[in-house]
Amino acid sequence: MQSGGDFVDLLRQAGYRFPGENLGDVQSQRDLPFEPTDATTILAFQYADGVLVAGDRRATAGNMVLYDRADKVVDLDAYSVMAISGSPSIAFEIARILEHAFQYYRRRLLQEMSLQAKLRRLSLLIKDNLPLAMQGIGAVIPIFATYDRVDARGKIYFYDALGAQFESADFTTTGSGSPAIRGAMYYLNRWGGRRFVEMDRDAAIGHALQLLDTASEYDSATGRYERSADIFPSVKTITASGLEEIETEALRQLYVQYVDGEEAGRT
Amino acid sequence: MMLSDEPYRWAEAVANRRDYIEDQIRAGSPVVGVGYEDGILLLTLSQNQQKLFEVYDRITLAGIGHSTDIEKLRQAAIDMAHSIGFNYSEDDVTLRQIVYFGLGPAVKAGFDDVVHSPFLARVLLAELDGQEGAQIFYSVDYDGAFHRHEGWAVVGGVVEADVMMGRELSDLDTGALSLSDAAGAALRAWAMGRWVGKLDEVPTDAEQLDQMAGEADVADVLETELKDMEVEAVVLGRSQLGKNKYRNVDAEEIAPALAQFTL
Repeated sequence: MQSGGDFVDLLRQAGYRFPGENLGDVQSQRDLPFEPTDATTILAFQYADGVLVAGDRRATAGNMVLYDRADKVVDLDAYSVMAISGSPSIAFEIARILEHAFQYYRRRLLQEMSLQAKLRRLSLLIKDNLPLAMQGIGAVIPIFATYDRVDARGKIYFYDALGAQFESADFTTTGSGSPAIRGAMYYLNRWGGRRFVEMDRDAAIGHALQLLDTASEYDSATGRYERSADIFPSVKTITASGLEEIETEALRQLYVQYVDGEEAGRT
Repeated sequence: MMLSDEPYRWAEAVANRRDYIEDQIRAGSPVVGVGYEDGILLLTLSQNQQKLFEVYDRITLAGIGHSTDIEKLRQAAIDMAHSIGFNYSEDDVTLRQIVYFGLGPAVKAGFDDVVHSPFLARVLLAELDGQEGAQIFYSVDYDGAFHRHEGWAVVGGVVEADVMMGRELSDLDTGALSLSDAAGAALRAWAMGRWVGKLDEVPTDAEQLDQMAGEADVADVLETELKDMEVEAVVLGRSQLGKNKYRNVDAEEIAPALAQFTL
């Protein structure tokens, strides 16, 4: 007997097919008639109160800047986010399915979906997307971050393109700008004077802004603070009291302090 | 056997069906919905069993009757809401379509199908800040007839219970009530509905019922029922952070309202 809490089952009954299933027989190996859109650098680390997740706002197609206001850190529920790099189309579809799947499960089965089940659902959707990922047009490599109220600590998971899931002990980054900052994150965390997990909220946000700025220095697909339109990277924290999106004014102050101003580099 | 070939027997079968269903539902615990300053409160008394349910971000459901029948309707409402919410948008999920195109026809089909068991349930749904208004309710009766209410709504075991419960709520300014005052009014209405449902014989004469109700002791009803039942309450509160406005109401929030009756 089916419990009926699976949202993807409900969608399939109504004729929905995940994009990867529909386009699975497209034959191409990047000799495409169009440049697929990519979304770039995202990062996450543990700080004193929980986890911080941040991403730049740029979406690109080849060497074109397609959009400078993309929000790649997507809320899934009051305690979890998915940060996306790779194909935004598939990534947003996955995020939308998951957001509904978590709520549907809770409402239908009258219990919260466990953290392990949430991770599994994301992994399955990435696996479903394999045909597109193999063709080089629809790969999604997300970071899933949450605050585990049972263990009373923040948790960060990252995935590979086939859906394998790994828990990150301290920090992670993915996307085209990530090679530029992975080493910097390691260095900061080990010899920077303070480990990420010891940083308070402001210091954590400040360092996230520095790291994204660093990524944008070396990766043309990663955006930085957009002066003409006043667009900051998206930064979210997840703590015992839930998910918080950092407001523009708070980001502006910390940007001045950590990236642009006198304090920059001396934290 | 075609019952529709014999109009008299068909009418008789329907009447029997009504009697049967009403008999099954009569003694159930009523549900009261009432607006307050921050949204909508749903309240009932229950015996270790959840009676009030989350359907979608701004929609909630409760029922009186057979728990598995309520469960079927609850699941249908949730499925419909989530399909629309995913394929269109959250804003396209309205209580009106859930009732008009989902629950209403389903319950009516169950009632008409005289060779199968009907839905032994009356359900009440509430929607906060939707296209139709701030505090909208729909009740769906066991025969599939539905009614729209604004500000407050009830479902009791018998129609007379609904009428008497409504008297406790109809004068309220539901846009301005505090949660505690709304809970107080809801408890009073619940007790009145329970009192009617438990009468051995409900007088069909309105005046007689009125007179009897005037002598009913609401506090006494509550005190008796609270011996083996507990107050269950949920709100759709617009000050709640995030998209989802549904939350359980803690016992402490209800305590002041309850104290009026149990001192």
